[in-house]
Amino acid sequence: MIFGKTRLELKVGIFVFIGLVILVTFVLLIGDFKTWTSGYSINFMFNFVNGVKIGAPVRFAGVDIGEVKDIEFVFLPQEKKVKVKMIGWVKEEVKIPIDSTVWVNTLGLLGEKYVEIMPGEDHNNYLSPDQTLVGADPIAMHEMAELARRIAGNIDESIVKIKNKEGTVGRLLYDDTVYKELEALITDIRKHPWKLLSQPKEKPKKR
Amino acid sequence: MVKLFINIGNKVLSFLYLMGGLSNLAFQSFYWTFAGPHKKQRILEQAQKAGVESLPIISLVALFIGVIMALQTAYQMQRLGSEMYIASIVALSLVRELGPVIASLVVAGRVGAAITAEIGSMQVTEQIDALQTLATNPIRYLVVPRLLALSIMLPILTLYADVIGIFGGYLICVHKLGISSSMYLNITFDSLLFKDLFSGLIKTIFFGMIIAFVSCYHGFNVEGGAEGVGRATTRSVVTSFIFIISADCFFTALFYFIFP
Repeated sequence: MIFGKTRLELKVGIFVFIGLVILVTFVLLIGDFKTWTSGYSINFMFNFVNGVKIGAPVRFAGVDIGEVKDIEFVFLPQEKKVKVKMIGWVKEEVKIPIDSTVWVNTLGLLGEKYVEIMPGEDHNNYLSPDQTLVGADPIAMHEMAELARRIAGNIDESIVKIKNKEGTVGRLLYDDTVYKELEALITDIRKHPWKLLSQPKEKPKKR
Repeated sequence: MVKLFINIGNKVLSFLYLMGGLSNLAFQSFYWTFAGPHKKQRILEQAQKAGVESLPIISLVALFIGVIMALQTAYQMQRLGSEMYIASIVALSLVRELGPVIASLVVAGRVGAAITAEIGSMQVTEQIDALQTLATNPIRYLVVPRLLALSIMLPILTLYADVIGIFGGYLICVHKLGISSSMYLNITFDSLLFKDLFSGLIKTIFFGMIIAFVSCYHGFNVEGGAEGVGRATTRSVVTSFIFIISADCFFTALFYFIFP
């Protein structure tokens, strides 16, 4: 047995040691240190990124494979346009076909944005480090709203016409003449099915 | 009417005396802390009292707080059908707020009161004057070990409280609400960030200092025998609680603006 001074030191030592172990575990779990697994960076070019933040996940075929490391603006002299360049970090073992499509997607109901890569078909050429993938722009919210408004307007117009018994559909719905005609025709044919086989009485016109 | 003004003046003056005495004590203790050298044995003794012996009660309280947090958030989250987020709510509120505050309040009640009673009875029996006569600085001999022990031990206790509280939430979520164990842990550590952990831990260093200063101050200023020691102990715990909660409010606001 240990007594006195050493015993005290032992107790405090164990206490502090376990505390430090907890701290280190926390730090490792929170940081989930990606630097330990090797990877490479690729670039994405967008006109509009809809609010993707640094650290947003990058998904390939729906699986998290990395994250957005940096976002910067680049000026393209030949296009005379400012574009957004995102530097993404992906795991070493992930091979991205060069004709993959990339866009910004929204996750869940909280609206977290992430970069989605849909694998392409070209399995002979893969993206090499620091190569650029040009992204399809996400539809901006106001454009979407505008589109929805136009579609709703069109539908509304058609429905008003139908309700006012205008046009073919409107008349079909509200006017029962066609229905009655059809009913009469079917009853007639049931009674006299041979009518279907009969030749028209008029002779075809001679040319 | 005059009595009212006297009362107000009395309150204000005693608050100013308290703040003055505390800052005086704090400056002297910092001076002696950095001046060194320190008696390792005395710091270890205080660390044992403040840290190791507080662990059982803090574990118990943290476990129950974790269970309570999980159940209370489940009450609302089940309506929304998003029980998954219970894990992140429990983890975030424990690591950012509840862990540090619970640990500090328990330590303030348990250790702070003991410090005030100990120093208070030394003051009453004139042992402090005896120390000064022996050319030993009472602040260096009594306050500095406690200050160091508390401000080192409290972050560690907070870490224990965080882990045990998260374990309490885990028990409820996995065994009662049917969330899978790996899912709970994944969501917990996905939602935590470094700033959450460290803002929680940095706070507790200051809380430890507050406990040390307030309880030593009240111990040194005991008047009137054994009864005075009792009164000083009560006052020390109450003052520590108020200071800890208001410092917590201050730090939460500060970190909210520093790390948005």
